[in-house]
Amino acid sequence: MSTTTSAVRSHAEAVQVSRMVDYLGLFILFFVLTGSYHIHGMLTMGDWDFWADWKDRRLWVTVYPIVMITFPAAVQAVIWERLRLPWGATVCILGILFGEWVNRYFNFWMWTYFPINFVFPTAAVHMAIFLDVVLMLSGSYLFTAVIGGLGWGLLLYPGNWPVVGPLHVPVEYNGMLMSIADIQGYHYVRTGTPEYIRMVEKGTLRTFGKDVAPVSAFFSGFMSILIYFMWHFVGRWFGNVRFVKRT
Amino acid sequence: MAATTSVVGVAEAPLLDKRWLAFAFGIYTVFYLWVRWYEGVYGWSAGLDAFAPEFEKYWMNFLYTEIVLEVTTASLLWGYLWRTRDRNLDALAPREELRRNMTHLIWLVAYAWAIYWGASYFTEQDGTWHQTIVRDTDFTPSHIIEFYLSYPIYIITGYAAMIYAHTRLPYFDYRKKGLSLPYLITVVGPFMILPNVGLNEWGHTFWFMEELFVAPLHYGFVFFGWFALSILGLLLQVFASFANLMGRELCGESVYRGGDAATWPE
Repeated sequence: MSTTTSAVRSHAEAVQVSRMVDYLGLFILFFVLTGSYHIHGMLTMGDWDFWADWKDRRLWVTVYPIVMITFPAAVQAVIWERLRLPWGATVCILGILFGEWVNRYFNFWMWTYFPINFVFPTAAVHMAIFLDVVLMLSGSYLFTAVIGGLGWGLLLYPGNWPVVGPLHVPVEYNGMLMSIADIQGYHYVRTGTPEYIRMVEKGTLRTFGKDVAPVSAFFSGFMSILIYFMWHFVGRWFGNVRFVKRT
Repeated sequence: MAATTSVVGVAEAPLLDKRWLAFAFGIYTVFYLWVRWYEGVYGWSAGLDAFAPEFEKYWMNFLYTEIVLEVTTASLLWGYLWRTRDRNLDALAPREELRRNMTHLIWLVAYAWAIYWGASYFTEQDGTWHQTIVRDTDFTPSHIIEFYLSYPIYIITGYAAMIYAHTRLPYFDYRKKGLSLPYLITVVGPFMILPNVGLNEWGHTFWFMEELFVAPLHYGFVFFGWFALSILGLLLQVFASFANLMGRELCGESVYRGGDAATWPE
């Protein structure tokens, strides 16, 4: 091809343009994912993520992994198969953590004055890295769904325990047994979210009282496997490249 | 030296105009930082009681002003992009096509940045406001910013990007190929979040719901938020548009096969 019909003048310029496309493409992917994954996350598991006293052994452990494996599965379906990029889950989680931390600091703390150690987001980078590494090493979506999805669910609680553990220490408060996180919730009043709204450790049948977190994590991992399968195909559909003549 | 004896070279426009890139990033950033300052000052001092005169002054007037400005901006911007469309894309030189592809990326950067502010920053901010302040109107300070400012801004930006691509880039030429489906989904899906505000406010007006963020009333926002995942398909098309232009120079004759690189293998 002659230089008069070519868009670039040399291989070096083509490489330079290619790098610029990479950087701008990454910016676009990151912030569109941040916006859409964050709105999905905050409206499906947000209440458990906002407040330390919602981060319990049962519902937080159950809900978060199930609803949050959606976007990682969808993004992995496209960027691994088409671009061989092994960080589909990690980019999703880094995006939502960016959005959450900015919000918790500049809005939860600096606008409505909740302390950061009451409103920190759930750590999930370790879960995302696990999911990506399983896909990269196995090269199999089936294996990633079963092993990666199960691990995704099981890893939430141990990965967050160093942060949440101290807030679960039992204390006696006005003659009642509470946790430090419960006391935080009482002191930092949420006018729009009274105590009876708080969904933690609901249910009356507590046969396995001391095993709540592992059982919840196991169930969550099972559901994460199923949701991964479904959202893999959701991702493939959103990765379509068709044109339509009529709308 | 006399001008007639020298060859005066005209500087070629850069492939990526970094000034426009900085402008696109900067204008949203500076504007939204000002908005956040306004919220911080007038949210608490004038935004707690919708029946107070100061609420009308600082918040309802803000709402009326932004709606007028948004309709005006959308009309002018979309109208300008459509009126100045390229009517002869077949005659476009490859170099200019590459330059337009880079400009298209700037439009998408602006859209992504606007999506972040709207769907992430101001949406979760609305959560902490409503879990702290009892709402007595559909037009709370956080809603006036989130629903009626940040959402229209990303909608205006997204449609502008789509018009630019389909009227100036041969890969997206609407007369030959129609409309890009992932582009439509990426723009129309998040756009639908704005009409869905009608459902949200309808529900909150009928029942005073404590702000349980995961309440099913909010799932419309979730559903339409999913549609932004079509950025995956759209980026495949964008990359293919670049590959068509310089894939051979980048990869070499032995590797580059040509054709539409966006198409999924069977």
